[in-house]
Parts: sequence; structure tokens; C-alpha cells
Amino acid sequence: MNNPNTSENRLHALDAVRGFALLLGVAFHAALSFLPGVPPGMWFAIDSSTNAVLSDAAFVSHIFRMSLFFFIAGYFGRLLYQKLGARSFWANRLKRIFIPLVAGLIVLGPIVSFLWMTGITKVFGGKMPPMPEMPADFFPLGHLWFLYQLLLIYVAVVAIRALVARLDPAQKLRCFVDQAVSGSIRTMAGTFTLGLPLAAALMSLPQWFYWMGIPTPDMTLIPQVPASVGFGTAFGFGWLVHRSKDALAAITQRWFANLGIAIAATGWLLHSMHAQPVAQPGLTKTVYALVFGVALWGWVLGLTGAALRFLSNYSATRRYIADASYWIYLAHLPVVVALQIWVSHWPLNWAVKYPSILVVSFAVLFLSYHYLVRPTFIGQLLNGRKHPRKPQPPGSSPSPAAPPPADTVNGGPVAQLRGITKKYGAVTALNSIDIEVRRGELLAVLGPNGAGKSTAISLWLGLIEPDAGTVTLLGGEPQDIAHRRGLGVMMQDVELPKELKVRELVRLAASYYDDPMSVEDTLRRAGIEQLANRPYGKLSGGQKRQAQFAVAICGRPKVLFLDEPTVGLDVQAREALWASVRRMLADGCSVVLTTHYLEEAEALADRIAVITRGKVIASGSVDDMRALVACRQISCESRLSIAEVRTWPGVVEAQRTQERLNITATDAEGVVRQLLAADPALKRLEVRQAGLNEAFTELTREAA
Amino acid sequence: MNALALESIAVGSAGRGRTLGAYLTETQYELTRMIRNPGVAIPVLVLPCALYALFALLIAGEAIDKDANLGIFLFTAFSIMAVTMPALFGTGVTLALERDMGLLRLKRAQPAPPAAWVVAKIASGLVLAVLAYAPIVILALATGKVSLGAGQMAAFSAAIMVGTIPFCAMGLMIGSLASGTAAPAYANLIYLPGCYLSGMFFPMPASMYWQTPIWPHFHVKQFAMHLANVTGSQYESLPMAIGSMLGFTVVFAGITIWRLTRKG
Repeated sequence: MNNPNTSENRLHALDAVRGFALLLGVAFHAALSFLPGVPPGMWFAIDSSTNAVLSDAAFVSHIFRMSLFFFIAGYFGRLLYQKLGARSFWANRLKRIFIPLVAGLIVLGPIVSFLWMTGITKVFGGKMPPMPEMPADFFPLGHLWFLYQLLLIYVAVVAIRALVARLDPAQKLRCFVDQAVSGSIRTMAGTFTLGLPLAAALMSLPQWFYWMGIPTPDMTLIPQVPASVGFGTAFGFGWLVHRSKDALAAITQRWFANLGIAIAATGWLLHSMHAQPVAQPGLTKTVYALVFGVALWGWVLGLTGAALRFLSNYSATRRYIADASYWIYLAHLPVVVALQIWVSHWPLNWAVKYPSILVVSFAVLFLSYHYLVRPTFIGQLLNGRKHPRKPQPPGSSPSPAAPPPADTVNGGPVAQLRGITKKYGAVTALNSIDIEVRRGELLAVLGPNGAGKSTAISLWLGLIEPDAGTVTLLGGEPQDIAHRRGLGVMMQDVELPKELKVRELVRLAASYYDDPMSVEDTLRRAGIEQLANRPYGKLSGGQKRQAQFAVAICGRPKVLFLDEPTVGLDVQAREALWASVRRMLADGCSVVLTTHYLEEAEALADRIAVITRGKVIASGSVDDMRALVACRQISCESRLSIAEVRTWPGVVEAQRTQERLNITATDAEGVVRQLLAADPALKRLEVRQAGLNEAFTELTREAA
Repeated sequence: MNALALESIAVGSAGRGRTLGAYLTETQYELTRMIRNPGVAIPVLVLPCALYALFALLIAGEAIDKDANLGIFLFTAFSIMAVTMPALFGTGVTLALERDMGLLRLKRAQPAPPAAWVVAKIASGLVLAVLAYAPIVILALATGKVSLGAGQMAAFSAAIMVGTIPFCAMGLMIGSLASGTAAPAYANLIYLPGCYLSGMFFPMPASMYWQTPIWPHFHVKQFAMHLANVTGSQYESLPMAIGSMLGFTVVFAGITIWRLTRKG
């Protein structure tokens, strides 16, 4: 769906944010062996080259990354709960969260322990240090703590939900909360107050290392106060944002201001942390905790808003990365840590090692996702669907965030505009129009300059997005390159590179398609074999258009878009191009043609759509179009003034060329009667069926 | 399954090999175009080497024999010039022309891989950079006018190749902002003063130090000096040089993306 206001698009953006938060976690963990001043035994490895800037960057990412994750989890949590109901919700969470948690602990636990011992031995110069005393509640959750925390929060939130539903049967409280939520975002009060519960929890910590932010609850199954409060707030607010209908729009609007606050607050945090890394009781600790909350929510709301603002359209790449991110985060730790341990004593700068660890880790993790997870039951478990190696037909995916199913009626339209509105500033280029191109037909789009023809074509080509409505190309979105592989295009006002030969231009365009014609076949079809080795810059205007036509057809397109293809061609070249178009039609290709030349539409079109001022004012076959206006052309030699004739009923247009009076009329008989009565000297009367030209004039005049 | 759904599968199955092929073909023809266009190729390929020969061999030849640092200085200056010029002019000017021609719109409408034209421009810019840089290295080694060890030479070469990235980004920015006729002028307006004011062509007086970091040239040279371990010419730390190059790249690329998403 192309409308940025639809819920699907919002989900694309939020998916991207969640993926970003998870992938940022990989980068964060990869940085942990390069931090200066970390005492041995805190992390798997300590690198020989450390860096303070990297440490600061890791701190900044750590302020918000998990809260951002929980915020989005809250939003999707309510969405899922609403959609599935309580029972299926828990079944779904069991599969997606609980099973990965248990499986992760069983599979990754031993590997991570082994790496811990190896790494620590290396850190302590080859000798394993004595194991410290473990507290009674010790339970090594490792980096999978967030799944456990998430389950706890689900239980708490669903319980609170039930309680609220009982206490507030008239929904008064909930209405108030919805308004408070969107209001707090719009006024930005939320940025400053949402962190207060967390700040209180952090202030109460007896020992708080500023760098650690919210202490990670990864050593025990007993819920920890700061994490539960901090991530609980994030999740709860995400849940409420899903309730409130205006909240996302407000977040989108305030993205810039929130990021600005986040950056300012983070700058202050870095500055104070450098002065004093461990909190001492007193004013600084209090202020630090408060500013930490502001920075955290500034980032969470700012990044979410920026994503909604800029990433709300569907992108296959982002979709893939978002799908992969869950697996990558679950599986990343052993890979990252093993690399950290391996390179820790290499005599290289961190600026070489850190990026290399990231590149290698992501390569391994994405490859493992692509081959071991995406097409298998693990992908089904983690993301709710299995992607076979061969792409599926659109619409077969059950995920709510997948591209919407296309309307794929047998023999139905190959390209469609439904309810499309497109504005450029105050000018409405298209006003809720519907056009479709059926299989194997040639649709001519006619209209005066500025009518919206090129806008319609640009929508189908995926160059612009509509303000409202749906664009479909070959059963999918035109932005999706896979669907564009079925189109060929010849645009207005395009010059191809003048240094390249025609053969090379065709070869280049053919490289974009899966099963292109050979260069020779393409040139033969376009009738320009003799131009193959001529540089484009040396061709005449007509030859250039023919070369562009060759470029358009080289990929065996299923739909061919020709925008004013014969402008500037002589009669011979135009006939040749028409013949080529007819051959494409005969092969089953559908063609969309915009043109000013009505005889071109009459010569080629199966159907015609007339656009004026952004509206389709008529569509049908060439004959339909003539019948629709039922105009006839009356021509005679007469002295009557055209001004007078124009006032007669049934006269559409009257013009004079020397002696002859040319009248376009809907009621030819009546006009002829009146003509003969008004001018007895009238000579050489002719009446004939009007051409498309006159029909067209009539139609556009009516619309005006 | 109905016909259109089948068709969707047919149009959807992009072979990975084909995508790679599209990138390669695009790059190949981008390079072909640059080489066939003498207006771009000649100044970019010949000028730096000719200038190096003039200064390092004829004018300062004897001085270099006495002061090895001068040899390194001149070699560095013209090498960086040789690699950054194609990066800047090859990407920027051609992009501006292509925008004027409507070619970029056409490529966005065609099923060209979305990044193919950028990758092609950068890759062919790099190839041109190597072609421009190679004769300088050969000349310097043959005449013995540069006293860098083999390892240093390799590290230096790698560093300046990486250093082309901010210039590619700068080129794309200029190409996305300016028209085809104005682009070369703007590119020169930013590039040439930078060559002097960054201290790349001759050492800056101390009173001018403050402004050297605003030129990407400065950071590229610093990055190269660190990697090649030329201790006498390091004025900023390695992370600072990397950070600045990265910063310039991000800002230039950001402006380019902002501009192209708005204007196409």
C-alpha cells in the first residue's frame, strides 16, 4: 500500500526500529572488549587496543537500545492481543518468546560458558582465575535476559489490563489516558516525565556505574527493580501508544525536537560521566538519573518518529533485515565474543579490529539466517513464516506486516490505479481516479498538457507515491523491483548516454532483467539493426526515439509504458514504431501509451482514457468514445458568422477556414435544418462522423 | 493458482547472478563512458602525473635529494590529487549531467538495482583513480624521488584509495545539487582552494592552521601519514582523521540522499 497513513506502513517503520535496536545490540557487544579501564573479569576479552570514543558511543547506544526495543514490543504486544485474543496471544508468545528463550539457553549456554572460560583464561594471562562465590539466586540468563523480562512484563500488563477493564467499564479512564498519551507526546511533556519512575529506581541503587545505565538483569530469575521499572514503562507506554489513535502521528511530528533533546541530554551525561564514573550519593546522582531518563525517552521517541517519518514505505531490503534481526540478536553473542577473544592480542589498532569484527559477525549471521533460518522451521518459529528459496506469490504470507495481498483475479488488470489522489503543493494533479490496464490491451491515455497523464505514468513506474489510493503493477507494488522487472519504459525528455553505442545501451538495460531478448533480436524488433554500432550522441532525433524504444522492449516486458513515444518522429519512423508496438501487443504485452496525437490513439488503442484536470472524464474503446459524444462534423460554404452559429443549440464548436464553415455538432440534423433556413445561399454541404479529435475537444470542454 | 499470481512469481525471481551482472555491466559502461569522454579523462589522468614530473623532477629534484621529507611531501600531494580528482569529477559532474538528461529518472523507473548507478560511479571513479595514480608511483620509484619502504608504500596507497570515499560523496552531493553546466565550476570551486588551504600543496604558515581541518584533503593526508607511519607529518590523531573523513562522508551523502529523494 502506498498511502503513508495506512497502518501497514506504520508497521513497516516500527519493524525497522525494532530491527535497528536489535542490530545495535550486536554493535554494542562487539565494542565491549575495546573499552579502556574495564577491570579483568567483566567481559570475555580485553583488547590490546582500546578507545575512549568507542566507549562513549557504546554508552550512548546503551542508554536507549533496550528501552526502544521494549517500547516497540509494547506497541506490537497490544496489536497482537487485539488481533488474536487472550488464548492465541499466549500461544503465540509461547512459540515466539518462551521457546527461543529455553532453546537459546540450552544451545547457547554451554557454548557461551566455554567461551567465557577461554576468554577469561586469556585475559588473566593463561591462568584460569578462581571462580568467585555465586549468590544463591544465580541463574545465567546471558543476553537472553530480555526474553525473560519480556515474558514477565506480558504477565504484568495483561493482568493490569484485566483489572482496568473491570474497574473502568465505561472506558472513561481509558479515554482520558488515550488523550493524555497523545497530549504528552505533542506537548513533549512525555519526553521529560516518562523517565521519572526509572530515575527513582536508579537513584535508589546503592552502587550505580553511570556507564552501565539500567543494570542488566542477566544473573538471576528474580525481577530486578530498575530493569522492571524502566523496561516496564517503555513497554507500557508502547501499549498505550497503540491504544491512542493520534499518538503515532504526534511522535512522527516531534521526531526532530525529541532527537535534539536526546542529543543535548546525552552530551551532558557524557560530560558528567567523564568527571565521575561512579555515582556518589548526592545531588549529581539525582540530576544524573533525571537527565538519563530524559535522554532515554528523547532517543526512543525521536528515533521512532524519524523512522515513521522517513521509513514508512515498504522496502524489501528493510523487511528482510527486520526479519533477520531477531535471529541475529539471539545468535550473535558466541560469534562476536569468539572473534573478540581471537583478535584481542593482535598488534592492530581497534579502528581495524572493531569494524572487522562487525563485518565478519554480520556476514556469518546474515548467511546463517539466509540459509539455516529463513527457509526452515526456525524462521517459522521466530518470524511466523517460512520463506521458501523461491519467492512466494504475493498474498500468501500470513504476517500482518507483509505487503498487502494483491488483487489477482484471473485475466484481471496488469496495472491499476485505484482511488488515487496526488497533490503537488496546492495543485491537485490527480483527484481520486481509477484506471486499469487489462492484459494484452493497449490503453491510450489522452489529455491536454498538465492533465495528469505523466503523473499517472510516474505512479505506475514507482517514481512517486500517491497521497491516497493504491497503485498496483503486475500484482504488487511498483516500488518493488521484482514487479518492475515486468515493465519496459520509454519516457519523455530523457537522453541516454551519448558516449555509448546503441548495442551497449540495449545490453546495459537488458542486464536489469531476468530473461531479456538478445541484443540482436531487440534491435531487429525495434527496426534499428543498422544503428547497432553508432554512438547514441550521433543519432538523429527519430533514431534516438527508436533506440529508446529498443531499450524499453529488451526485457520482454509484460507491460510497456510509452510516454509520448512519437514526438518529433517523421511519418516513416512513426509508422515503423507503430508496427513495433503492434508486434509487442500481438505477443501478449500490455501497453500504456500517452499521446497528444489522436490519430496515434485511433491507430493503436483498444481502449482510451481521457484525463482532464486530474479526473478521468471518459474511458472506453475508440468507438465508445465517438459514440459517447456522438458528434458529427458539418462543413459548408456559407456567409454565416461563427459567433452566431455557436449560439445555436447542438453546436459544440464552429470554426471558419476561408470560405468554409466547420461545425462540430451533437444534433447534426437540427443544425443542418437551421443552417439551410438561415442561409439560402449555402453551398457544398458535407456531414460526416466526427474523428476522435473532435470528440476529444468536446469531452475536455465539458469537463472544463 | 491463477495466472497473474504465476506471473508474479515469474517476475519476482531475480537471480543473484543477474543482479551482480547488472552491477558489473553498469560499472563497465560507466567506465567506458568516462574513458570515451576526453573532457573528463585527459585532465584527470594526465594532469597530476604531469604536475608531479614538473615539480618533483625538474623544479625540486635537487632539493629532494638533500631533504627526503620534501620528496614524500610532493609525492603525497600529487598522489592524493590523482586519486581524488576522478572520485570527485567522475561522480559529481556526470551525475549532474545525468540528472539534466532525465537518465536518473529512467533508471529509477527501470528495474535497475537501486544502488547500481552509485556503485558504478564509485567503482569506475576508483579504477580511474588507480589509472591516474599508477604512473606517479612508477615515476617516483623509477627516479628514486620518494623514500618510502615497500610496506609504507602499500599502506599509503591503500589509505589514499580509502581517502577517495569522502570525495566520491562530495561529488555526488555537488552532482545532486548543481546543474550539468554548473557542476564542474562548483567542484573546482571547492576542490582547488582545498588543495592549497589544507596544506597539501605547500605547508601552511602557523597562522593558517586553524582552517586546515575544514578541508577533507587534510584528513585524507593525515590518514595516509598515519597508516604509512610518516612520523614527521602527523598533525592530528588517527581516530580524529578517520572520524573526520567519516563525518564528511556522512554529511555529503546525507545531503545527496535528502536532495535526490526530494527531487529525483
